[in-house]
Amino acid sequence: MSVVTLTINDQLVSASSGETILQAARSVGIDIPTLCYVEGLTAHGGCRMCLVEVEGARQLQPACFLNVNEGMTIRTETDQLREYRKMIVELLLAEGNHTCSICVANNNCELQDAAVEMGVDHERLEYTYPQREVDVSHERFGVDHNRCILCTRCVRVCDELEGAHTWDISGRGANLKMITDMNQPWGESPTCTSCGKCFMACPTGAIFQKGSTASELDHNRAKLDFLINARENQLWEL
Amino acid sequence: MAKRILIDPVTRIEGHAKISIYLDDADQVDHARFHVTEFRGFERMYEGRPFWEMPAITARVCGICPVSHLLASSRAGDELLAVEVPLPAKKLRRLNNLAQILQSHALSFFHLSAPDFLLGFDSDPVRRNVFGLIAEHPELARSGIRLRQFGQEIIERLGGKKIHPAWCVPGGVRSSLDDEDLRWIRDRIPESRDVTVQALELFKGLVEKFRQEAQSFGNFPSLHMGLVGVGGLWEHGEGTVRFVDSERKIVADGLDPRKFFDYIGEAVEPWSYLKSPYYRPLGYRDGMYRVGPLARLNVCDSMGTPLANKELDEFRQLGAGAVNASFFFHQARLIEVLACVERIEKMLDDPDLKSKDLRADAGVNRLEGVGCSEAPRGTLFHHYQIDENGLIRKANLVIATGQNNLAMNQTVTQIAREYISGPEIPEGVLNRIEAGIRAFDPCLSCSTHAIGQMPLHVEMVRSDGQIIDERQR
Amino acid sequence: MTGRNGDRIKLATVWLGGCSGCHMSFLDLDEWLFELAMFADVVFTPLVDIKEYPEHVDAVLVEGAVANEDNLEFIRLVRERSKWLISFGDCAVTGNVTALRNPLGDPLTILERSYIELADVNPRLPDEPDILPPLLDRVEPLHRVVHVDAYIPGCPPPADRIRKSLEAIRDGRLPKLEGQDIQFG
Repeated sequence: MSVVTLTINDQLVSASSGETILQAARSVGIDIPTLCYVEGLTAHGGCRMCLVEVEGARQLQPACFLNVNEGMTIRTETDQLREYRKMIVELLLAEGNHTCSICVANNNCELQDAAVEMGVDHERLEYTYPQREVDVSHERFGVDHNRCILCTRCVRVCDELEGAHTWDISGRGANLKMITDMNQPWGESPTCTSCGKCFMACPTGAIFQKGSTASELDHNRAKLDFLINARENQLWEL
Repeated sequence: MAKRILIDPVTRIEGHAKISIYLDDADQVDHARFHVTEFRGFERMYEGRPFWEMPAITARVCGICPVSHLLASSRAGDELLAVEVPLPAKKLRRLNNLAQILQSHALSFFHLSAPDFLLGFDSDPVRRNVFGLIAEHPELARSGIRLRQFGQEIIERLGGKKIHPAWCVPGGVRSSLDDEDLRWIRDRIPESRDVTVQALELFKGLVEKFRQEAQSFGNFPSLHMGLVGVGGLWEHGEGTVRFVDSERKIVADGLDPRKFFDYIGEAVEPWSYLKSPYYRPLGYRDGMYRVGPLARLNVCDSMGTPLANKELDEFRQLGAGAVNASFFFHQARLIEVLACVERIEKMLDDPDLKSKDLRADAGVNRLEGVGCSEAPRGTLFHHYQIDENGLIRKANLVIATGQNNLAMNQTVTQIAREYISGPEIPEGVLNRIEAGIRAFDPCLSCSTHAIGQMPLHVEMVRSDGQIIDERQR
Repeated sequence: MTGRNGDRIKLATVWLGGCSGCHMSFLDLDEWLFELAMFADVVFTPLVDIKEYPEHVDAVLVEGAVANEDNLEFIRLVRERSKWLISFGDCAVTGNVTALRNPLGDPLTILERSYIELADVNPRLPDEPDILPPLLDRVEPLHRVVHVDAYIPGCPPPADRIRKSLEAIRDGRLPKLEGQDIQFG
């Protein structure tokens, strides 16, 4: 792979061709916020938190999808981007039923953290208060669709890392919903291996361990990172 | 032709409420009603939620006694898991409840009621509050604030947060104390004990001055209910339910709190969001009972600690059988604070408070569970039914303040009769009626699972419903 | 010590559909309440006996969401008579636990559960006119109903967040919390 040079926030950055802007930026310590992205899984480009400005391009581009190119000039922190990101968090908060105070993921939630980072001290949009279900039919895990932000991390981690593809998406638009197998109760899923990777990957309190009480959930993301790293780098071949 | 006086809002109590006073043809008080006007509908909101989350959700019923809900809810959860909670967790829960009773009682006495006693029921309403107390009796205000802080700080050291700590959970608790915590608590014991003793002396010295109030603030026969421990010991968590009558004769004893619905019924009146529980064997209205500090002291045989026992002996002299004058809720409350301080001190050497054996784990093993705790204001029950996966199908909360509803209604009637004799409403009366309610320290957020300031707005209404006089503050 | 202009600040606190936890957290300011008393007059709060909301309040902290018609009427009056209206705690800011009833639809089914299905005597809906305020179809955060000048999130906001906000008011500034101080929950 060849090396390309680009400019991110006035800083000259070299990266391997084939890397994304997000990877190139993070490799030099420039953080671009994300919600649906997990290093090592296929990018989804769904949350739009990682949108960046590309000089010469008419539209904003998701950094998790955009490949680096020689001579590119990228901006990751502008007033416009900050406002967009804040709005995305507010859209997510308004679209589900997110009650931090009584959530299992309180103090351990990427959506809550994003709200703090984007300066969301109140919601400017009207809450939609959808009627959504809680499924705790699985022996070890539960899913509370009220807290789901449709990031599809569970789908990708289950498919790409575990190879079970228990999780998928059904419906369109506002009716979009994560399902297990043929939209049956999770506890009746014939494919689920109960590995818990979807739980580790979930950014909010949507997928949780049964028995978790408020503010108790620990996603154990380090374990997931270890698994991904181990597969990619074949850590067992010393 | 009856007339009605409406008090709206009632203040310095913990909730939204109004009071109506109905006059008869001769302009004499016929009866009075205490309306709770706030409703948040928790029971329905719980449905479909996992029961593990219930302690945190039910804690938000009330910011004054969240720990009571955490305890009752967690105990209902213990029942659903069908586990034996590790002994250290039981002790830590008990410590938590003692701290909670202490802080809430300190709030009730110093922040809410002391202004009446020290500044006077007829003093300027602008000054008659905790800020007036800070200005005129700064040392007393400071010691009251520090007493409440003592309780709140213990709650925070246990659960990481002063209000709504997510600490007490089905199966046990999440953390224990360390040496530094225990040292801090121990250091504050002497001050807390002294302040409580002084407050008791202060209150007892004032009783003579408030003889009329003591006689008329909800002074009537009723049943009293509370938990008692082995040998009739004052209990706040794990005992059995006892009812005594106004003579302090035992009416029922050794009742299982998990079967409360067998002996407690609930009635609804169209004029209040607060339901009226009653003792089933005597039926609605005749089954009126009181709960809370006054009732707990009436039902128990002993406080279990020396200073509190001495005070209990003195307290017994206030009535022929049970103490039936609600004015003495205040004294009972302070005696309980003393008992809390003494009991906390007694616990501090127990190595179990530093244990790591804190939580029993299990899945759903029962589909119905009841949890009970003595909240500062009285006995609290949480009753859950769940499906086989652990989602709540039905929940009912029977709250301390609700159980005093019938007695509070009778109290406002009695005070109105004592102080009103005609269609006009004297100013000091409004505050006395409120103070009568305040003696119960009602927590209306809990009772209707709602809260807010209590309005005071008195309306006089004819029997045909026409309002003929009105007064608001 | 007084406010910026040497005047004492007229402070109020109001309690709508919430659990009072925010007010309890306010009392957890503990001995700092003495400092507060040096620069502010607390002219209206559930802790004092003033029944009518006064005119010309400098700043009001409002706990709780707007849940019934009394709340709605009252918050409009409060807005009219206050210079700075501050959403105090998650129920005021987001609806929080008070708004948990919203996804369930209209309040009737909720009332029925509490007063008909869970009652033994007189199962009926409490509905005395002019006494019991009708519930709004939907619980709303404050800023959906009136203009809000500043926000203090938290369930409840810890005492130090409240203190920072009161210090700003003392210094004549509108409170503006940031970083971890705006975290919900």
